[in-house]
Amino acid sequence: MGNKQTIFTAQQLDAYQVSDHVYSILFYRYRDLAPQLVPLDYTNNPDVKLPYELIGSMPELKDNPFRQRIAEVFSEDGEGNMTLNDFLDMFSVLSEMAPRDLKAYYAFKIYDFNNDDFICKSDLEKTLNKLTRNELTEEEVRMVCEKVLDEADLDNDGRLSLDDFQHMILRAPEFLSTFHIRI
Amino acid sequence: MPKPGLLSAALLFGVAAIVLVLFPLPASTDSGDGTRGPVALAHSAAEERAAPGVAAEDEEPGGQHQQQQQHGGGYKVVQWEWSYVQTPYIIAIWLLVASVAKILFHFSQRFTTVVPESCMLILLGLVLGGIVLIANKKQLYQLEPALFFLFLLPTIVGDAGYFMPARLFFDNLGAILTYAVVGTLWNSFCTGFSLYAAKVLNVIDEKVQADLMDFLLFGALISAVDPVAVLAVFEEVHVNDTLFIIVFGESLVNDAVTVVLYKVYISFVEVGPKNVQTVDYFKGVASFLIVSIGGTLVGLVFAVILGFITRFTKKVRIIEPLFVFLLVYLAYLTAELFSLSAILSMTFCGIGANKYVEANISQKSRTTVKYTMKTLASIAETIIFIFLGISAVDKSKWAWDTGLVSCTLVFIFIFRAVGVVGQTWVLNRFRLVPLDKIDQVVMSYGGLRGAVAFALVVLLDGEQVKAKDYFVATTIVVVFFTVMFQGLTIKPLVKWLKVPRSTSRKPTINEEIHERAFDHILTAVEDIAGLQGYHHWRDKWEQFDKNYLSKLLLRKSVYRKSELWEAYQKINIRDAISVIDQGGNVLTSARLSLPSMASRASFPEFTNVTNYLRENGSGVCLDLQVIDNVPGAKVEEDTETHHVLAGNLYKPRRRYQSHYSRHFMPLGEKERQDREVFQRNMKYRMESSKSTRHKRHKKERSIKKRHGSDPKEESTEKPRRNVSWHDKEPVLVPVDSEDDKAEHSEKDEDEGITFVARKVETPKPRPKSVPAAVEASSSPLASPLSRPPSVDTPLPWKGGVGSPPPCVSVEATKIIPVDLQQAWNQSISSLESISSPPAPPSADAVHPRISALSRIPGAPRPASYTPSSSSSFFSTSNTQLVQGSFLFPEKIPKEEEEDESSHELQPLMSTLKPPPPATTSAPPPPPPVFLRSLVSAPPPGNTEPWSRGPTQL
Repeated sequence: MGNKQTIFTAQQLDAYQVSDHVYSILFYRYRDLAPQLVPLDYTNNPDVKLPYELIGSMPELKDNPFRQRIAEVFSEDGEGNMTLNDFLDMFSVLSEMAPRDLKAYYAFKIYDFNNDDFICKSDLEKTLNKLTRNELTEEEVRMVCEKVLDEADLDNDGRLSLDDFQHMILRAPEFLSTFHIRI
Repeated sequence: MPKPGLLSAALLFGVAAIVLVLFPLPASTDSGDGTRGPVALAHSAAEERAAPGVAAEDEEPGGQHQQQQQHGGGYKVVQWEWSYVQTPYIIAIWLLVASVAKILFHFSQRFTTVVPESCMLILLGLVLGGIVLIANKKQLYQLEPALFFLFLLPTIVGDAGYFMPARLFFDNLGAILTYAVVGTLWNSFCTGFSLYAAKVLNVIDEKVQADLMDFLLFGALISAVDPVAVLAVFEEVHVNDTLFIIVFGESLVNDAVTVVLYKVYISFVEVGPKNVQTVDYFKGVASFLIVSIGGTLVGLVFAVILGFITRFTKKVRIIEPLFVFLLVYLAYLTAELFSLSAILSMTFCGIGANKYVEANISQKSRTTVKYTMKTLASIAETIIFIFLGISAVDKSKWAWDTGLVSCTLVFIFIFRAVGVVGQTWVLNRFRLVPLDKIDQVVMSYGGLRGAVAFALVVLLDGEQVKAKDYFVATTIVVVFFTVMFQGLTIKPLVKWLKVPRSTSRKPTINEEIHERAFDHILTAVEDIAGLQGYHHWRDKWEQFDKNYLSKLLLRKSVYRKSELWEAYQKINIRDAISVIDQGGNVLTSARLSLPSMASRASFPEFTNVTNYLRENGSGVCLDLQVIDNVPGAKVEEDTETHHVLAGNLYKPRRRYQSHYSRHFMPLGEKERQDREVFQRNMKYRMESSKSTRHKRHKKERSIKKRHGSDPKEESTEKPRRNVSWHDKEPVLVPVDSEDDKAEHSEKDEDEGITFVARKVETPKPRPKSVPAAVEASSSPLASPLSRPPSVDTPLPWKGGVGSPPPCVSVEATKIIPVDLQQAWNQSISSLESISSPPAPPSADAVHPRISALSRIPGAPRPASYTPSSSSSFFSTSNTQLVQGSFLFPEKIPKEEEEDESSHELQPLMSTLKPPPPATTSAPPPPPPVFLRSLVSAPPPGNTEPWSRGPTQL
């Protein structure tokens, strides 16, 4: 990590609650994704974006139903093109130190496909279809969705607000506690 | 706590008394013979030795006597064949004693919450052992290692492995393995060396002739945490899942370590410490790897075989459970055969096969497996503890040395604690959810030793290990101390430390979904970060499982359904069953008093989050809850319930158990009776509520009459009811018709009513408090009558809410069909084919037209429904748009057709046919109504519709 000082300023490091070590690991990972795009010197905040195609085309991710969604949620432009900041954000959200509410918020955002700040039925259906790889019939999906809404929809508006979501998730104690990634 | 003490004393005396009563059983008959002693146990034991001699003496002189006394007439009317039945008889008596002891312990709720059962069983064993000893001057029974390892232990381990929460287990696999391997090694070495040190320092008496190897051997067998003891104690403590799985998983997995250490040391002891070469140590390590990995592999192989076999048991459901037991047991025996870790093998066989087996076998088989396993495990555990107690009484087997005993106790406790803390410290650097101090305390304190250690120590060869008797005594004390003292105190400790307890809550659908989604998300992020973490591997495994294993091991009809869907169904089934279980209560409270909110709250099942939320939600939205707005989950559940109910209620009436077959499971007499009782209850309630609401209903009825849906309906009340029932019947015609013939229409009506009542009650509570309740209660009565109107009502909902019914129906098919399947093999195949997703399309194809028809109230439907009963089923079911839903009806007709002569149907049909035409003017065609009412009942608005229907008309 000798050269980390040259890559980041101290301020930049302070902005994230991750250790220098982790920070540099992530940076090199980020850079490995697109060595030609990412400069080694980050002290003057170059405007570099990793296009979604790069992330989405990773072989490990090809089966993952949420790859696009994750990229979209965590990228500033909402289209999956990630800056280094986005990239680091993603990991800080998933780090153990991130507060529960933050995790819940991002989890919520991942489900909220149409970005209307509510998980509505169509969002749920999308989630389900992704999770089951379209193996459920429409009927089944609809039923499950309704069940989900029934369980969690406290204000009965037919969709889940962030409050509903948090409430539901906080009820299951170990739920968010596993929403971690250790680097 | 003086009371528990008293109680325990009382209990003990009671048990002792019972034992005394029990044991003489064989003896008393014996004593008639004059040759046997008063105490059967002693006797039976004595017999083994005495039997040959005594019997011989008896017979020869006896024979002579006979000849002399009753010359020539050598035939004895009653013969004493004790030796013939001896072994099974004794076993049976033991089982009986154990079971009765269990019953007695559970007489007092408060007592059992304080004192763990294992303690009481050991005490009982001590008492029994004392009795036997006094009676016989000699201990005849003790825990035989062979018996323990071949029969008692596998039942417990099998149960534990099969029902092991796989995900939890693998989530904590790292910790489990660490504690099991490193921890056990640490414990055994430290204990061994420390004891040796104590010996050198003369803390341990010189009589104990043991050198380092002996102590290491002893350390190895005494240091392993025992699965039986852990299960027995922890199951009552209800610590949180993670804690439990770590301690329990450790106790299972450390078997490999124990086995290897034990064997290695034994061989060392045999060879003599001086002849041990360095190579042997490496051999020991290699042996450990082989034993553990080999055991695991054997288990997995058997798991695959088991999954594969159960894939083809569709036609022979009755032996499905047998396969499960056999193969799991075979896994154990096979591992034992190759002297691999049998416990590991069995555990992994259970874990591995569980998913596939559960998916493959029928619901009933599942239940059978579950109950049988639990029964066996429970009885095995009981016997183990009793025998532990009994064995301890036998003084001849052990020799006491205070130094050794106290040293051992102190050492194992200290090293356990140190080991746990040390390992946890390391583990916590890697764990996502660190184990905190409290967890560590519980884990250290929960390091219980048990029967495995005892059996191992008894197995020792007294020739080789000079100090065997001392070791036995020490082991017994250690086992007793850990099981009794720690077992007794761990509960208060857990309470005092406020260890998070486990909640019995089952995951909600939300959790199922989100958990899975989180997994995916985390995997994705890990992948992006280029990490190959746990999630990555799990994801890979799931891919593999999905692509290959599931296809190989699951029935086609099963593996197409996603796990999520399975989970969903399970939850639904659970809900439905719970509602049914509580059926009586629900009905009373819901119908006769206020709506179900209060009554619901009282159900344990409803305390889970889902329902809690739901209730809150309903409270919030009382006003908002317009019919169309909220498709309440309750309502859904109700639908499911209704369907389950429908299936259950109807079954008993069928006559399919006319023949006895070994391969079919006839509906149990008991079961049927239960249902009968239930129905009678319902009827009674209906009747009572009817009387109060009679007037109101009259109005409705009169309205209905006016509509003249069915001319016959207009006759006297009773006939009318019948008719209305019949009208509904077309859908389920065969069943009902049978019922009608078998019993009187009233009952059948009640059944029909029961569904309605249920539906109504649940929905009601929500919308309006009191008025709704009244309506609800009345509605059941009204429902049969009001059905015609209802026909229309369901349709509107279908559009909006439609989905709930389908889910219900699907689930219902799952539950019900299973039962039916056993009765009719043929129906099975059709069912399964239907149930599988692909089938639906065809139904759908039919569906649009039919649904359209159904929506049109009058004329069209008769036409569609007249052709044949089965077709009508299809059509109605199709209207629901649900494959599942249509399944259910479908199946029934088929069975019915098979069972009954078709002519039974015909008359009904004919009678029915006329009505439909008549009804053309009136919206509700009766036959479809019934089905629909069942299916569609759940939709939120239904309560209102039902009640409203009549008035609107």
